[in-house]
Amino acid sequence: MAEVVRALRLYWRLQRAAMRGALQYRLNLVIGIAAGVAYQGSGFAFVWVVMHTFPAVGGWSLREIAFLYGMRLTAHALYVLPFSSLIGLDWLVREGELDRVLLRPLNPLVQIMAKRLGVGQLGDLLAGLVLLVVALPPLGPASILFCLAAVVGGALVEAAVSLALASLALRTWNTLGVRAFADDLFSKFGSYPMSVFGGAAQWALTFVLPVAFVAYVPASVLLDRTGELNVPAPVAYGSPLLGVALFALAYRIWSRQLRHYQSTGT
Amino acid sequence: MIRPLAGMARVGMRFQFAYRSDVIMSVVALVAQVFLLRMVWTSLYSGRESDPRGLTLEALLAYLSLANLQAFVTTPIIPMIAHFRIRTGTVFFDLSRPTGYLPQMAAFQAGHTAGGLLMLAPAIPVVLLVGTITPTEHPIGYAATLALGYVISVMMSLLICVIGFWTLETGAISLLYRLVSHFFAGTMVPLSFFPGALGVLADALPFKYMGYVPAAVYVGQLSGGQIGRAVAVEIGWIAALAGVLWAIWRRAHHKVVIQGG
Repeated sequence: MAEVVRALRLYWRLQRAAMRGALQYRLNLVIGIAAGVAYQGSGFAFVWVVMHTFPAVGGWSLREIAFLYGMRLTAHALYVLPFSSLIGLDWLVREGELDRVLLRPLNPLVQIMAKRLGVGQLGDLLAGLVLLVVALPPLGPASILFCLAAVVGGALVEAAVSLALASLALRTWNTLGVRAFADDLFSKFGSYPMSVFGGAAQWALTFVLPVAFVAYVPASVLLDRTGELNVPAPVAYGSPLLGVALFALAYRIWSRQLRHYQSTGT
Repeated sequence: MIRPLAGMARVGMRFQFAYRSDVIMSVVALVAQVFLLRMVWTSLYSGRESDPRGLTLEALLAYLSLANLQAFVTTPIIPMIAHFRIRTGTVFFDLSRPTGYLPQMAAFQAGHTAGGLLMLAPAIPVVLLVGTITPTEHPIGYAATLALGYVISVMMSLLICVIGFWTLETGAISLLYRLVSHFFAGTMVPLSFFPGALGVLADALPFKYMGYVPAAVYVGQLSGGQIGRAVAVEIGWIAALAGVLWAIWRRAHHKVVIQGG
């Protein structure tokens, strides 16, 4: 436990240093946040524009879609803010930088996470929270708690997939394309009612790549739409726990692969 | 003048080939995007008797496949290249060549696009088939609006390259540009669906010539005099952008900061 507290404290310190670094390029910081908002906003702008002409997507109203979008985006931001440096793992391995990380007396994952602050991701968080608050349906205290747990759980689902795929970089050295594609699937498909995509794709987005569990499944619980899901209602209610389980699993994979890491020697 | 530019175009093409695994992944992402749009739009159209905005679902799906394919092919690489070379100071070598900086960049982009087309060539019949795209009634109008739209796209990205001489850091600007241009090019929604002020804005901006206009000509939503007008406005945009680029470039190359060491 003391080890974890120490790691977290050092993480916070390193992250503050990264933040100071990012603040040196102020204009780029502002534009970066704007780009983050625009990137995520352009996806929602699509929904907003088409729903001027069409009243519903897969039976969901604009407000319901906005809520789903807000949940997905907030979860995504919570994942990507601490984990954005993971994207550079291929490079760290190829350049032999990872050797340096492994020599320092701090959890390697924490060191990698603290490398850089994802500036654009602050924009994601901003856009996500705004959508979530604006579109929030009237919820009781228990539902609010479920919503919070679900957002954290959703972040962990995405983090788990990302970490598990990144672990491959420790062995095969070129994972960027696959990881970018998985990220893309989460971002693009996660914000729609899955029933829109038809049986096979819905199945794949639920059980092969757990995109549905980031927001669609918990949002269905909160919007009283569990009848439409392709998983039983109790599973839907337990969806926030899935994130915890998947992340624990992904961390095991990561540690296992790290033990097999061989430096490229450059 | 021509030989060095042809050389630059060759470099652009080789650059494209060197990163072919990235291209394959982005083609997969493109297919996923088109699939997503098809499913969402099919769901939107279901249960409606009339065709909104006079566009049948088939025409709409063909439009979307085509617009995304076009946007994919015409998305410029040079802002990224310029960004990297300004940041590392290697832009010095580009500036010291006797051929102008902007023509070099334009040639690089043209080569890069040609390389992308060559690599995509085997996939195009598949996309046309999956996208239920049938031959167009306006092949010349399509080719003309698309070619001019491509020129506009390259000129806009040259503008972003030049902005880098002032800001030194264009990573975020070029991302922003890509998003805004794709959105207003109508790669997800045809411009005819944009409501009110957004529609007016989208119509006034030049981005529509990179996606919406050529694709709408292809599926027959724009025809006859509308095509002629579009071509005329495109030529106007090219002239205006050329003027702006010339004026900005005159100032920019006095601003050059070579970062190095």
